[in-house]
Amino acid sequence: MNEPADPEETQLKHELGRLIQALETSGKATLPSSANELLSSIVEAAARIFGAAAASILLVNEPDGVLEFKVAYGEGSRDLVGVSIPLNQGIAGYVAMSGQPIAISDVDRDARFNRDFARSTGYVPRSILATPLMAGERVLGVMEILDKINAPAFGMQDMELLGIFARQAALAIDQAQRIEGLGVAMLTGLENLAGSVGVRLSDDMLAALRAKPEPGIQADLQKLVEVLHEFSRLGELERELALDVLSVFAGYGKRQRRLSTGSG
Amino acid sequence: MSEDEKTLPAYSLPFLPGAIRELNSCGPLSEITPDWAWGGSTGKGVRVAVVDTGIEHDHPAVAGQVRGGVVIEWDEKAEDNLRIETDDPPQDVAGHGTACAGIIHSLAPEAELYSVRVLGTNMSGRAYQFAAGVDWAVENGMDVVNLSLSTSKKDYFAMFHSLTDDAYFKNIMLVSAASNFDEPSMPSLYSSVFSVASHAGKDPFTYYYNPSPPVEFGAPGIDLRVAWKDHGYATSTGNSFAAPHIAGIITLIRAKHPELTPFQIKSVLWACAANVHRKIAS
Repeated sequence: MNEPADPEETQLKHELGRLIQALETSGKATLPSSANELLSSIVEAAARIFGAAAASILLVNEPDGVLEFKVAYGEGSRDLVGVSIPLNQGIAGYVAMSGQPIAISDVDRDARFNRDFARSTGYVPRSILATPLMAGERVLGVMEILDKINAPAFGMQDMELLGIFARQAALAIDQAQRIEGLGVAMLTGLENLAGSVGVRLSDDMLAALRAKPEPGIQADLQKLVEVLHEFSRLGELERELALDVLSVFAGYGKRQRRLSTGSG
Repeated sequence: MSEDEKTLPAYSLPFLPGAIRELNSCGPLSEITPDWAWGGSTGKGVRVAVVDTGIEHDHPAVAGQVRGGVVIEWDEKAEDNLRIETDDPPQDVAGHGTACAGIIHSLAPEAELYSVRVLGTNMSGRAYQFAAGVDWAVENGMDVVNLSLSTSKKDYFAMFHSLTDDAYFKNIMLVSAASNFDEPSMPSLYSSVFSVASHAGKDPFTYYYNPSPPVEFGAPGIDLRVAWKDHGYATSTGNSFAAPHIAGIITLIRAKHPELTPFQIKSVLWACAANVHRKIAS
């Protein structure tokens, strides 16, 4: 099995690569849309329903000890996505560390001690409601809504309602993270399996498996998934027509492959 | 569910104005009054640990009563995966622990406060950091321990059970806030601790007793002005702030009646609760 030129292995290598890519893509297809888009719509809906000026989702990056802004909506949200704050500090940090929600307003600090992150974004909120995004006992991140319009603070009712939004967001994030981890899990499984039966995968094969799918291909597949979603929203006749067109195209693709490889 | 019922965190439902049960004390227990229990007490000589995000040692709300502190962190290279270091002078990374300490100090101004910081960046080790914080307090001569944090993972049931029993038999009062979510909340579910949720009132000495599980005491926890990070103050809500009210009152009782055990103090609290009425024998 260590012969790099073995045609069977070459084929297996391609098949495995395709399988992993297909799994990742089909997994992503089970989400209503791309995970980011879903999270954006969740924070926007939350901000509108609670009558809040802004809302955002931060995800835990444990190795770096930070919380990263994943999506943001509303006032002060410009350029916030991608920004990191320390995991063990501040209100969002407290929520991530404790796994408990908090409603806080009118934070007034002695000016000599003011090191608040919010100042650096040019936007200092008056009231904050933050709740953890949980997958079981694991804290994935924090969802926060800022500045209730027409009210001085968020109440307990808001805290409970935000918990419901947070569950939806956590579900989407957890699913997306699991899918991202799927390829890695498969490779580890394969390596373990090969090791346990005394077979070593060739370096060539390992390299092929470990290679990230080409960004172009990944984006194309993602686009395809989105188009398929569009189809699912069409009427029955339109769906059938779209399916027919796709089937014809897939048949054409197969014939082309046979011709070029000389098989079949 | 009425509008009222939606305004309190999970576990606080027994403390809604319409849900508070009217109870009676009788016989010699009726003779226990707040004045007997804590009248004139300042909490002097009682050591109170706040297991949380730390206490800002120089915050005006604790008026120099912070006497020491430790930081407990998850470290896979250390013995038992935990690293315990002195925090001198104690700091608060978020503000939450200072809020709790400030409430205790407002009730028991001469109590000695100890900062036990257990909340940190390690997510998987956090229940162990929390447990190690309780253990530190038990092993270091604390009298009262405020726990405005909890865990919901059932795997830790036995670990917290043995820790809280250990504290109980060593005469240490553990005051535990119930979770703000409707979920298993450890250690607040154990009978060996004083479990606390919120009522909507503001008077710091008004608390209620609930005879049905899972939460025994209801104290102020809604829209309170509390101490916060960087010498600041903020308005906040949660069972986290109800627990230190009960911890403060227990501290006063402990200072005045050092011989009382946890279950005796629980009985004193029951007898002095706002919803327990004394029937004076004629």
